[in-house]
Amino acid sequence: MDTVKLYLHSMGMLLKSHFQYPVSFFMQTAAQLVMEGGEFMALLLIVDRFDHLNQWTPGNLYFFFGLMAVSFYLTEIFGRGITGNFPYLVRSGQLDTILLRPRGVLTQVLCSATDPRRITCIAVGVAALVMGSLQSPVHWSFLKALALTESICMSMILLLGLFMIEAVFCIFSVKSVELVNALTYGGRSACEYPVDIYPRPLRILFSAVAPFALTMHVPAAYILDKPLYGWPVWTVFVTPLAGLAVFAVMYRVFRLAMRHYRSTGS
Amino acid sequence: MRIKAYLSIFRMRLKQELQYRGAMIGGICCQAFFGLILVALYRALYAGHPQTVPLEATVSYVWLQQAFFRMLGATDNDLADRIRTGDIAYDLARPLNLYGYYYSRVMAQKLTGSLMRAAPMLVFAALLPKGWGISAPASLPALIAGIAALMLGLVVSSAIENLTVGFTMRTLDPRGIQAMLNLLMMILSGSILPLTLFPDAWQRVIALMPHTQMLDAPIRLYTGQRSLSELLQIIGLQIFWAAALLGLGLLLWSRNRKRLTVQGG
Repeated sequence: MDTVKLYLHSMGMLLKSHFQYPVSFFMQTAAQLVMEGGEFMALLLIVDRFDHLNQWTPGNLYFFFGLMAVSFYLTEIFGRGITGNFPYLVRSGQLDTILLRPRGVLTQVLCSATDPRRITCIAVGVAALVMGSLQSPVHWSFLKALALTESICMSMILLLGLFMIEAVFCIFSVKSVELVNALTYGGRSACEYPVDIYPRPLRILFSAVAPFALTMHVPAAYILDKPLYGWPVWTVFVTPLAGLAVFAVMYRVFRLAMRHYRSTGS
Repeated sequence: MRIKAYLSIFRMRLKQELQYRGAMIGGICCQAFFGLILVALYRALYAGHPQTVPLEATVSYVWLQQAFFRMLGATDNDLADRIRTGDIAYDLARPLNLYGYYYSRVMAQKLTGSLMRAAPMLVFAALLPKGWGISAPASLPALIAGIAALMLGLVVSSAIENLTVGFTMRTLDPRGIQAMLNLLMMILSGSILPLTLFPDAWQRVIALMPHTQMLDAPIRLYTGQRSLSELLQIIGLQIFWAAALLGLGLLLWSRNRKRLTVQGG
């Protein structure tokens, strides 16, 4: 409980610091809106030209897009310490001060940054979700709402886990490794679309290694009444737990890697 | 001679860029992966809905975009840092035109960044099975015309970047405006979605914009979507934009120079 309080307190302070330069903050937030809006526009143009993608209607595609946008950018807001700030902490040697304090490393890293500018990206994602749900149309029920909530939460945890791979690489090589982006940002780009449109190797990658398909597409397909691979309903609530599994593994690896951490000395 | 000075800045920057090979290899692999995802997506889209633009042309478009990705977008963050820290004062002391100084740097960066990435990327794309990899150019003259247009595209692209910096020089925190101008560049140059897949009515207007001169026009020459009979028209438009953007940039920078506030500290 204490940790949660600490986290919330840090977030509050960080937010305040972001609002110290309101004009700059506003401009950057608007830029984020334009950026995510641009991505969404690309999807709208694709729909305009191709109409549908296998069995997925335009509404379905908006829903998948929205689910990814909301999960990804919520992670960026609440987990910025891992998703963006960690390489800087290592390079600048600030991680040393973190090690001195009587708290968990991960807690403190998470407390070290937030990115409230992403709020507009989430707005675009929510708009896409609503559009998708209206056009599909989705017949909402309690179970479906629960599936959506679980999907978003588990996807966030999965993303944190995947970004921790980058953090582990950072501990050993100081410079952040671009290659890991293939899983995180590549996963985001690829899994804005349902996984079953991709050839087998990519399907395996996004089901077994970076299981976006399990945390997002299985529940989303159920919500859209087009169960992925025709799997039964109970799988919808089980497969997203893959996100938790990835996080648990990466947490262990992160702990191990921290033992080998050598400061840059600056 | 002034030109000699700019050339040596250009050379220095080239060498500097060549230093970061490790990061570059990671970058290329990542870029290739993004290319594969995009190709897979377009293949799935085409499967249900054949288009007037053939799939091979779209796939080649994707790979050429991935290969020359570094020609677009902001590449030089140094200048923004120098304005923020006040180091720009040192640059003003140089016996060179500030615009020319940065233009050479930006161009060198774009050239090495894209050449070093393009070569391995194109080899990779050529080795992929048919329907996944890049197709051969429409003809040998089309390839030569495409390369010529790409060179002019580099001139235009560097001019656009310098103009962007010129606009944003006056604010201390240019990140917001820069992000927006970059996005405009990404959309209008076809990196987010191939311009050939935009609605046809939009394409006619977009084709006249400066952003399409950088990569889209050369790619269309390569794939044969624009025939060689249009070559003069294409190159004419490129030269027009290059001249206009360079002139505008020079003007803006010399204006900025007079009212530049140097940050202390």
